[in-house]
Amino acid sequence: MTPRRLAAAVLLCSGLSFAQVNLSAPPAKSKQYITYVTEEQVVTAGKKDTLELRFRVNEGFHVNSHTPKSELLIPTNLTLQPAAGVKASPAEYPAGTSYSFSFQPSEKLDVYTGTFTVKVPVVAAAGAHTLDGVLRYQACDNAACYPPKSLPVQIAVTAK
Amino acid sequence: MRRILILGVMIVGLALLLWAGWHNLRERKLAMQKARENQVVLIPEKPGDAAAEGGDEFLPKMRGKKAPAFSLTNLEGKKVSLADYKGRPVLVNFWATWCGPCKVEMPWFEEFRKQYASQGFEILGLADDVDAGKDVIAKTAQKTGVTYPILLTDGKVQENFGGLDVLPMSFYIDRNGVIVEQTAGLGPKELIEANIKKTIASGSTTAQAGGHPAGAE
Repeated sequence: MTPRRLAAAVLLCSGLSFAQVNLSAPPAKSKQYITYVTEEQVVTAGKKDTLELRFRVNEGFHVNSHTPKSELLIPTNLTLQPAAGVKASPAEYPAGTSYSFSFQPSEKLDVYTGTFTVKVPVVAAAGAHTLDGVLRYQACDNAACYPPKSLPVQIAVTAK
Repeated sequence: MRRILILGVMIVGLALLLWAGWHNLRERKLAMQKARENQVVLIPEKPGDAAAEGGDEFLPKMRGKKAPAFSLTNLEGKKVSLADYKGRPVLVNFWATWCGPCKVEMPWFEEFRKQYASQGFEILGLADDVDAGKDVIAKTAQKTGVTYPILLTDGKVQENFGGLDVLPMSFYIDRNGVIVEQTAGLGPKELIEANIKKTIASGSTTAQAGGHPAGAE
């Protein structure tokens, strides 16, 4: 009987957590076009490790990658404030994907859509730390662009 | 008895799952519906679904209002005021060097400016750039082939025109200084021309007759 009980409990818990996730989904009021998918980062204390920061671009939008193809375009860029106990190296950005506006098919842009991950090499002292940073980006949809934005990011890091 | 209890718990769990799914779907549908209601169809054959997630609800809140006065510097360093164009239909277009869709419509504007110049029509391109310097703005404008005045914004003009959450953003101002139409995003060329015609026509009756201002439509 125990496995059955366990199955029922798991099912019940998953149902509850699913409902909670949906209910706690943020209302579409924010003017941000990227969400920081918050995950606690666990790294090895005193050794080189990497923070993997996931960001999600809103559906229907794209943002320039860190290395857009034109100097006029505003790149996605993460800046982290110095924090005691965490030595962070410059962030490493993923390659973008090719994108063209339907009205300008010849011009290829280098963008992020969906989810992208920025990696930050760190060496952290044992314990819990909080890193504050800002992700600067500029978003467009299929026919309009939106002024550059700064997304505040707070990263919880536990070094064990 | 225990089996019934387990079965009951499982049913409750399943019901919660179904309810959560249904709730989520309903919320999404409502959000989508709301976004569609407020959405300006930028490209009719490809209506953007972006507004649903981003919460951008473009409302032409300046339509029908008197155009806010401004005095800005052009690329040659001279002051240019909206008042300088009093009695003329004017298209005030906000753009930026980093805005791809803006640069697509700028050559169209240039074309229409020439086409409707005889009716007093003028275009003012207001660069909504924060980082780019005057030289970059000038170079970018030149690349698009526009010859109409490009003005450097001061931060206040954007606010006075209702804040710019989207680019490109255009304000069609008639001879009486009333904003006849406000558009956001890249629209079809035909729509831009239709708005220009509407703007020229809007003030012309009163201007010629010397009667009461027609105001906005």
